[in-house]
Amino acid sequence: MKKIIELKNISKAFDGDTVLNNISLDIYDNEFLTLLGPSGCGKTTLLRIISGFVHPDDGEVVFMGDDITDLPPHKRNVNTVFQKYALFPHLNVYENVAFPLREKKVPKDEIDKKVKEMLKLVMLSGFEKRNVTSLSGGQQQRVAIARALVNHPKVLLLDEPLSALDLKLRKDMQQELKNIQKSTGITFVFVTHDQEEALSMSDTIVVMSEGVIQQIGTPVDIYNEPENAFVADFIGESNIIDGVMVRDGEARFSGQTFPCLDKGFAPKEPVDIVIRPEDVDIVPVEKGMLEGIVTSVTFMGVHYEIIVDVKGFKWMIQTTDFVDVDEHIGIFLEPDAIHVMKKSKYSGMFGDYSSFSDELEQLSVGGNEEE
Amino acid sequence: MKNGLKKGNSTTRMLLAPYSLWSVIFIVVPLLFIAYYAFTDNNFNFTLENITRFFTATSQLTADDGTVTEVRTYLMIFMRSLKLAIISTVICLGMGYPLAYIMARAEEKTQRIMMTLIMIPMWMNFLIRTYAWMTILQDTGIFNSILGVFGIDPVHIIGTEGAVVIGMVYDYFPYMVLPIYSIMAKMDIRLIEAAHDLGCNSLATLRRVIFPLSLPGVMSGITMVLIPSISTFYISQKLGNGKFFLIGDAIEGQYVANNLHFAAAIAFILMIILLVCMGIANYFTSRRVYGG
Amino acid sequence: MKKSASRIYTAIIFAFLFAPIIILLIFSFNEGKSLSVFTGFSLKWYKELFNDANTLEALKNSLVLAFSATAISVFLGTMASVGINKLRSRWYRTAIDTVTNIPMTNPDIITGISLMLMFVFVGRLFGASTSLNFLTMLIAHVTFCLPYVILQVLPKLQQMDKSLAEAAMDLGCPPLRAFFKVELPEIMPGIITGAIMAFTMSLDDFVISYFTSGNGFQTLPIRIYGMTKKTVTPKMYALATIIFFVTLTLLLINNIVDNEDSQKLKEAKRIQKGEKPEGDYNPRKRNMALALAGVLVVALTFGAFSGSSASKELNVYNWGEYISDGSEGSFDTIKEFEKWYEENYGEKITVNYDTFASNEDMYNKISSGAVSYDIIIPSDYMIARMASEDMLLPIDFENIPNYQYIGEDFKGLYYDPDNQYTVPYTYGVVGVIYDANVVDKADIGGWDLLWNEKYANKIVQFNNSRDAFGTAMFKLGIDVNTTDTALWDKAHEEMIKQRPLVYSFVMDEIFNIMQSGEASIGAYYAGDYFTMMEDQADDVDLQFYYPEHTNMFIDAMCIPSCAQNKELAEIFINYMLGEEAAVANAEYTYYASPNRLVYENETYIEDMGEETVEILYPEFEDFAAEYNRYAYRTLSTDMLSYLNSLWETVKVN
Repeated sequence: MKKIIELKNISKAFDGDTVLNNISLDIYDNEFLTLLGPSGCGKTTLLRIISGFVHPDDGEVVFMGDDITDLPPHKRNVNTVFQKYALFPHLNVYENVAFPLREKKVPKDEIDKKVKEMLKLVMLSGFEKRNVTSLSGGQQQRVAIARALVNHPKVLLLDEPLSALDLKLRKDMQQELKNIQKSTGITFVFVTHDQEEALSMSDTIVVMSEGVIQQIGTPVDIYNEPENAFVADFIGESNIIDGVMVRDGEARFSGQTFPCLDKGFAPKEPVDIVIRPEDVDIVPVEKGMLEGIVTSVTFMGVHYEIIVDVKGFKWMIQTTDFVDVDEHIGIFLEPDAIHVMKKSKYSGMFGDYSSFSDELEQLSVGGNEEE
Repeated sequence: MKNGLKKGNSTTRMLLAPYSLWSVIFIVVPLLFIAYYAFTDNNFNFTLENITRFFTATSQLTADDGTVTEVRTYLMIFMRSLKLAIISTVICLGMGYPLAYIMARAEEKTQRIMMTLIMIPMWMNFLIRTYAWMTILQDTGIFNSILGVFGIDPVHIIGTEGAVVIGMVYDYFPYMVLPIYSIMAKMDIRLIEAAHDLGCNSLATLRRVIFPLSLPGVMSGITMVLIPSISTFYISQKLGNGKFFLIGDAIEGQYVANNLHFAAAIAFILMIILLVCMGIANYFTSRRVYGG
Repeated sequence: MKKSASRIYTAIIFAFLFAPIIILLIFSFNEGKSLSVFTGFSLKWYKELFNDANTLEALKNSLVLAFSATAISVFLGTMASVGINKLRSRWYRTAIDTVTNIPMTNPDIITGISLMLMFVFVGRLFGASTSLNFLTMLIAHVTFCLPYVILQVLPKLQQMDKSLAEAAMDLGCPPLRAFFKVELPEIMPGIITGAIMAFTMSLDDFVISYFTSGNGFQTLPIRIYGMTKKTVTPKMYALATIIFFVTLTLLLINNIVDNEDSQKLKEAKRIQKGEKPEGDYNPRKRNMALALAGVLVVALTFGAFSGSSASKELNVYNWGEYISDGSEGSFDTIKEFEKWYEENYGEKITVNYDTFASNEDMYNKISSGAVSYDIIIPSDYMIARMASEDMLLPIDFENIPNYQYIGEDFKGLYYDPDNQYTVPYTYGVVGVIYDANVVDKADIGGWDLLWNEKYANKIVQFNNSRDAFGTAMFKLGIDVNTTDTALWDKAHEEMIKQRPLVYSFVMDEIFNIMQSGEASIGAYYAGDYFTMMEDQADDVDLQFYYPEHTNMFIDAMCIPSCAQNKELAEIFINYMLGEEAAVANAEYTYYASPNRLVYENETYIEDMGEETVEILYPEFEDFAAEYNRYAYRTLSTDMLSYLNSLWETVKVN
């Protein structure tokens, strides 16, 4: 595969706040790459560095072998689909899509052909004369995509393009974007904070936090083999438990030693253990490797989500069997349900289900402080 | 539900009643009075004489070489007013648009300072400002003294159309800048970024995105400069040395001469012409916004 | 590179915007009277300003008017905006939008005239003695301020989250309280901007005020207009300078308040980020600023109305700068009269002194019934016209013993053959003023000088039809009161011939123009010649002569039929004829006085200088005959409109 964009040691600070810290990333031809992370992690800034609206303090942007760090946005062969679409309100659908072509002085009949082709691609044929402000959110989205694609850029940048759409429409658009990407063969760089969206669409996911790349990998890798507690917590649900790697294939946590598949750690090395809620089996107490008390049960449709107190640590378990609050249950873990990670600065910050969101946790901590 | 709706309506009506009444009595009715006076003589009998006088009164013009041509007095005065007003408006737009653009792009603090600076002259009395220009522009005035320091021959400005235009531009400049600025400051920055992203350089972005989007501001700027320029009488008296009789001078002159009915007729015709012009302009700008 | 270009551009624009302001800042400190030659630093014009009761009164009036108009239009406009925002009916909305736009897109002159026509018409209908007054001006100002308020407030209402008020009501607030507690603070920035704009517009408005101003209520722009028709002294610049600094301070305060607001926003953002708030933003500061402004308004309003507490009032209507008013240490006629009256009659009295710019201006105001005065001082031809239209009351000369001092020459003249209506105040003779440094001695003597091609673009001509045509008629030897249109046409030809030579058509602008050497030849009144000479530039040497035949005028005190207090008016006239007042006024105006107590007064002759007196009081073999022949008389309406159309063709060229 051919590298299209190479980001080399990019750093950026706004008013002294570091937003990007020494980021290096290669983006390949014909790839659907997603920048994933919570708000404020620097993903949008990174996108704007690629599009040219932000100049990095340090590092360089290489585009097909050329350094384009100092190239202004209008000279870059990349186009952007903006977060709230940024359609020109004074132009109709046709003129919005034709906008970049007219700038290039493309002959009229060719413009006509290309615009029609693009509108067909995004399934908006017949909307040419419509005023963009009269379109629905999804339709505006399609116009924005058509407009960004009409020039056949090498790379299309998408800045949280689906965030304003409702759930069903979003699912459709995810599918459609994927199809468009496949049929055009253009590299998509997609920014989102929605991990589900990232998992379902991407070829490659780049997980970011605090201006640093945490992990790069395929959706399956990222889900199954998170590199640290942050990634594990951010992608899907995880119980993250403090543990020690006794030796290769044997991990000890919650006062028990478990067989596992991971190896390559130093003997007695302290580690983070990740257990996905769907990988936990509920068994009678006497057959369990661990024992706990159910503190809450929530019906989720396809399964129940139960919170179990195991020696003061709250586990989340997804199960199709009904258990009742205050019931004592046993927990059984297959070796492949246990994923061992190196300790990182995120260790101990995530993985306990006393509460779901960080915000609630912070608020209660903050509230305590004030008292 | 029905009750609630009704209640809402009556509150709305109560809120609007004073303003509606005020507008009718002090805006609409006075305009009817203009029409009434325009179409009546001193004894308030119906007549078209005032209106026809506007269109038919003639006077002899003597050119520098002595040739005499006959012109329609008031039509000529009107055309002259229109010409000077249009020139002033174009200059205001040419000067004001870049300033508004620079302002809108400046830092917030700078924007506020510039805004204040533009407002300040508006608080100084309009008559004194104009009078000050008179002392600057006259043949032995300050401008020519400064030229003299550099050994440049004095320029004769006062009493020319140029001086009148300078006065108009000066007095009405803020009315051009402020509406354009306010629309530019509100403009969505992402639209400008989108234009850059789609291959426009700064100039093309200005031409293809910023300017069309700022058109409503430009239109209200043009209105707010054109209207007072076309109807001014103080500026032409002071800076035109009383030699450039404008439509405002004609109205004021007739008022001073106590020809209220003819003054009303000129005002009436001016009002109709301006209404038609504004209507046409609005029609075209509103179409441009959607047509592309 | 780009940045510096835009900086230079901005600098040039602001230089243009502030050039005249800097000029007037500088010249407000000029020692001399000139507005274009700086002779030395002095604060005397500021002192003058603070002694000028009329200007200060006008300033106070302007502020009171602007504050009241702003308060009313903010109240009405905000209420209307809330209503418009709730409005569902399409056509009502369109109608309101259209009407709101009218005052903004209509020229001021049309708004002014339309309101004036209505006020006068309605006033006449109800037989009101005055139809233009503070109230009509207030109405006019509110009318043109309202759209600015609505245009600022309505968008804020539209942007506002509709659920805010609903949330308040949901939490138990009644609708009206919900509005004041939740919605009003939200739209406050719009209201404040609207109020500032309304205030600015009202304070600076000249055109609409010009048409709707009336009795005893003169705003600053109207006063300034009257002054710029006459001589403008650096006193006005001093006033402008003070306004400038007050404005600057106000705007700076406003900026500081704004800054605090944006600081508040930053705080909010910090809190959102989970950081601890910093700084000491105090929302009370803004409230304090507002409260301060409120107190100022109340204080000013009280000040405005407490001043006129005296029971008796006398309304005087005179030309601008036509009475000794205490400036530069002179006798303050009005104040002295008030004092004198109280001493002699044991009663307080207030004199409302207003000025007009032309006879026609005065005639229009009086004849429309818009105003009511007890004393007016028009010129001869206007007196004749007003007498013929029953607009004057016969004077009871028993109440005016000082009438005996009026010279016999000035009695029984054409405008008042039976001495019924008038007591002459001043008279003047038109002569030719020229700059001896420019004009050859050989060329002077007659009216021809104003047509001499040698002095092209150095000649000024009257900016009014009667006086301007008069010069041509004297030159041609035509009777200035002829009813023969052919003769008028001849004069018109002469005017057209002169047109290319004329530098400017002037009335009182002649002072500045001749003093500074802008122009070198012009016909004007002898008295004004001396005023000009006092402040001529170093390289200008103004001289004066009378051509063989020339125009004369007399301005006389009369009592119009709309007078409310005739007896008091007669007491005032008698006072004006007394030695002290008469001499002071003659010295102040530089016009000749028909009063023996003046022209035979030795201190007066000494003060003026003998040469001056010689020019001011030329010898006539038979004054009455000469006067009756050469003074302008009222022309018939037809003749006037014929003259007017001739005049317009001169001006149109």
